[in-house]
Amino acid sequence: MQWWQTNKRNADLERELRSHIELEEEEQRENGLPPEEARYAARRAFGNATLIKEQTRETWGWMWIERLLRDLRFALRQLAKAPGFTLTAVLTLAIGIGGVTAVFSIVLAVLLRPLPFKDSGRLISLHEHIEGDSHELNVTAPDVLTFERESSAFTAVGGFIGSGYELTGAGAPFKARAERVTASLFPLLGIEPMLGRTFTQQEDDDASPVAVISYALWMERFHSDPNVLGTTVDLDRRPYAIVGVMPRTFEFPLDAGRLSHRDLWVPMSLTPVEKKSEGNNFDFSAIARLKPGIAMPQAQQDVDRVMAGIQAQYPLKGGVKIHAGFALLREEVIHNARPILRILLGAVALILLIACTNLANLLLVRSGSRRRELGMRMALGAARKTLFRQLLTETLALGCLGGAAGTALAVVLVRLAAAKLPDSLPRLSEVGVSWPLLFAAVLLTGITGLLCGLVPAIQSTRGDVLDSFRDGGRGAGHSRKLSHLRSGMVVLEVGLAMVLLVSSGLLLRSFAKMLEVDPGFEPAHVLTASLALPGVNYPTQQKVNAFFSTLQQRLESEPGMKSVGFASNIPIVGQKSGRLIAPQGYVEGPGEGMIIVSNYLTLGNYFAAIRIPLIRGRYLGVSDDQPGAPLVTVISQSLASRYFPGKDPLGLQIKVGPDFASPMPAMTVVGVVGDIKQGARDQATVPQMYEPLSQGAADLGPFASMMGVHGDMDLVLRTTEDPAGLVNALNGAVHRLDPLLPVTNVNTMDEIVAATESSRRFNTVILTSFAGIALLLSLLGIYGVMAYSVSERTSEIAIRMALGATRQGVLLKTLRHAFSLTVLGGTIGLAASLGLTRLLSGLLYGVKPLDVSVMTSALIVLFLCSLLAALIPARRAASVDPMRALRSE
Amino acid sequence: MAKPAQQRMGLLQGTLDMLILRTLLYGPAHGHQIGKQIQRTTNDLLQMQHGSLYPALHRLEERGWVSAKWETSPDKNREFKYYRLTAKGKKQLLVEESQWKQMAEAVARVMWPAAEES
Repeated sequence: MQWWQTNKRNADLERELRSHIELEEEEQRENGLPPEEARYAARRAFGNATLIKEQTRETWGWMWIERLLRDLRFALRQLAKAPGFTLTAVLTLAIGIGGVTAVFSIVLAVLLRPLPFKDSGRLISLHEHIEGDSHELNVTAPDVLTFERESSAFTAVGGFIGSGYELTGAGAPFKARAERVTASLFPLLGIEPMLGRTFTQQEDDDASPVAVISYALWMERFHSDPNVLGTTVDLDRRPYAIVGVMPRTFEFPLDAGRLSHRDLWVPMSLTPVEKKSEGNNFDFSAIARLKPGIAMPQAQQDVDRVMAGIQAQYPLKGGVKIHAGFALLREEVIHNARPILRILLGAVALILLIACTNLANLLLVRSGSRRRELGMRMALGAARKTLFRQLLTETLALGCLGGAAGTALAVVLVRLAAAKLPDSLPRLSEVGVSWPLLFAAVLLTGITGLLCGLVPAIQSTRGDVLDSFRDGGRGAGHSRKLSHLRSGMVVLEVGLAMVLLVSSGLLLRSFAKMLEVDPGFEPAHVLTASLALPGVNYPTQQKVNAFFSTLQQRLESEPGMKSVGFASNIPIVGQKSGRLIAPQGYVEGPGEGMIIVSNYLTLGNYFAAIRIPLIRGRYLGVSDDQPGAPLVTVISQSLASRYFPGKDPLGLQIKVGPDFASPMPAMTVVGVVGDIKQGARDQATVPQMYEPLSQGAADLGPFASMMGVHGDMDLVLRTTEDPAGLVNALNGAVHRLDPLLPVTNVNTMDEIVAATESSRRFNTVILTSFAGIALLLSLLGIYGVMAYSVSERTSEIAIRMALGATRQGVLLKTLRHAFSLTVLGGTIGLAASLGLTRLLSGLLYGVKPLDVSVMTSALIVLFLCSLLAALIPARRAASVDPMRALRSE
Repeated sequence: MAKPAQQRMGLLQGTLDMLILRTLLYGPAHGHQIGKQIQRTTNDLLQMQHGSLYPALHRLEERGWVSAKWETSPDKNREFKYYRLTAKGKKQLLVEESQWKQMAEAVARVMWPAAEES
């Protein structure tokens, strides 16, 4: 029989003992005793049945479990008797454990996503740098091969470089993002293709036209055709055979902090020119896998040895020395996320500290109120060991309840977050609770709980039992010391919460500041899209321009459309191209480098569509597109004030190139417009200039052919209503002109703006949730202490009221107590944040780490909330009925 | 954990185990029969409460020296839990018997040294 059959076995014992007593009783009756006396005689002869049962059960060998269950039942009963305490403690644990785990799990998944490769902890990425220059470069093409051949510290070395191809032969042609990789790369990563195979060394060496495609491309362009292998597609008009399809989760190379997207991979097959590019063109990336048992310093020695060999063979001009080093690929990917992670880890530590303090406080409060009960039980003969065991069980039960509630909260919060957070964050679908972190949080709070829960037990096993009865169970000196400790803990909690409140306030204000920044155009009611006219069908700029002009006319006749324009680059999405310019009459300052501005080739009603305000002169217009029209440009205000300081820029000229004296053609400035934000609103801007697309080639003078045919344009549609409603009209208009042309990147401008804000929004939301958790926890702390002190002082309050204190007076006195704790905690927190917020400076925008208004509002929030927390106990104090309270003493 | 129980059982414990095993040598018996038998054979000299048999019986069962089974008694037509000596129990009885003899002799030598010499 096993321990879980205890009940059955107990019944069995019961029956056995009963049959014995009944038999004895019968025998006594047969001996002539009256029934009543017979029963007593039988019982007497048998002895103490309860004790016998107990002793018998002890022989069964699983007593401890039964005792544990009994203690647990007892503990749960004790907890149920103090629902306020239990609820507060469990809530503290749940919020502390659950909140922190959930938020941090999301952070881990988003910022620290594990590398999706086999045994990724041993993957490293190689770098080179020129001696005396700290700037890290990638490696040269020949070095990839040399490392692959010569190094002995790595099981394999793989190289890769990004590339783009016009992909035709699979639906509408498009610009495919590709990566040239060495044959060693896929085996090195340890990822098998989902279908087919990856490249062989032979194919890499022979420059065989084969390609491995991504899952997304396979799905979208080949409709998940399982027989896709062997199909050919044209990359830059050269046929490539598809030999493999990678699994859905495969990403390579990894872009830090976001999903990387590659359509296909082709063999590296270095060209003869690339193979000879020793010492220049550090554009190639190399990764390697450390051999088992090789430590980092050994590998570094090996890398140095290989590098020395390369230097000896290909000495560089001027004795320039190149060194190579490496970093774990994992480190590299999380490198950018490190500052925010450090701050969040700090916040997590603060919150756990608050939760532990809170728990300690609650348990101490409870221990004070239980001294009398424990004393009574000891006086009645309870063994100290038993009391100790029961208190331990009680604390453990509390810990388990809190841990369970915390785990549940963590799971729910993570689920919610995965559903609610923006898609721009990578891998949100894969967000899961971080179990190690949950475990750590549970362990920490568990240890705190144990330590604090045992205080009453230790106290009870020390000293005189009678002590606990003196002063009605609250020894004055002892109680004062404890109450100081408790108040100190609340002050600490409030202080910690204050630090987080100030931090989150600073981030919130940065966010607000960013939103206040004028992006330089009106994003509302704008639909954008990209069109890439393939060179095959649109061989000349005239054809391209004609296409866009026709499209503009057709779109502008659609109902709900106000104006339509095109540009080589639109605001907020980032700066796509720069122009080296020489403004007329501008003298470069000493040490000032070349003047590179951000340039935009426009067509149609671009300015009207995106609504960049005109400051002087005129916008670019249809007249500028006429053949033979003078070369003109529109510049942004910052360009005007910086390069034409104190002058009227209208009529002045700008040339492309480093020198205005060169024979390049000159563009005349015809207008000045407002500056736009090229990237996210919290990023700096580069001065801007606009040129008509039709003059783009002419502006380059003798280098006109460098521009080629510019067929990649962004569309900007200004609408009267919700721009999303015009997506179909846009697609229809494009397809009537060219049925094969894909309309890509269809977004409203509002969506684009929101996406650029997502990382700041994410940081702000996370830190603000941390601050919220901290605030909630310290409120629970204030509430707990106030509630206890009110219940402890009920009789005192009753006496005061009997002697004439008003209810209002009692209320105010209690609130004042809470207020003084908050003031003290708030002040300490404020002092701490003066030093700590400096760590945040990298994340702030438009706000100094010592922002008075943020600190003031944090203080106000803290005061209001603490008053709210103290109000319930204060009202209870004020509603004490003096007669009843005194009678119950 | 079982310590307090042992203390309360006093010195009798080892002896009681042996007495029970010895009694069961005659054949299976339930608790009441064992108690009566011990009482009868010792002429009521051993003052013991019948209840204290049960922890001992269960301990013996736990150790595998006796086995137990609910059976209908031949005369009373009622079910009792009958205990039986196992092979292991028989060996244990021999061990305890010899230990008891040795102890009794040792005690006797201390208590009545003269008798020993004569």
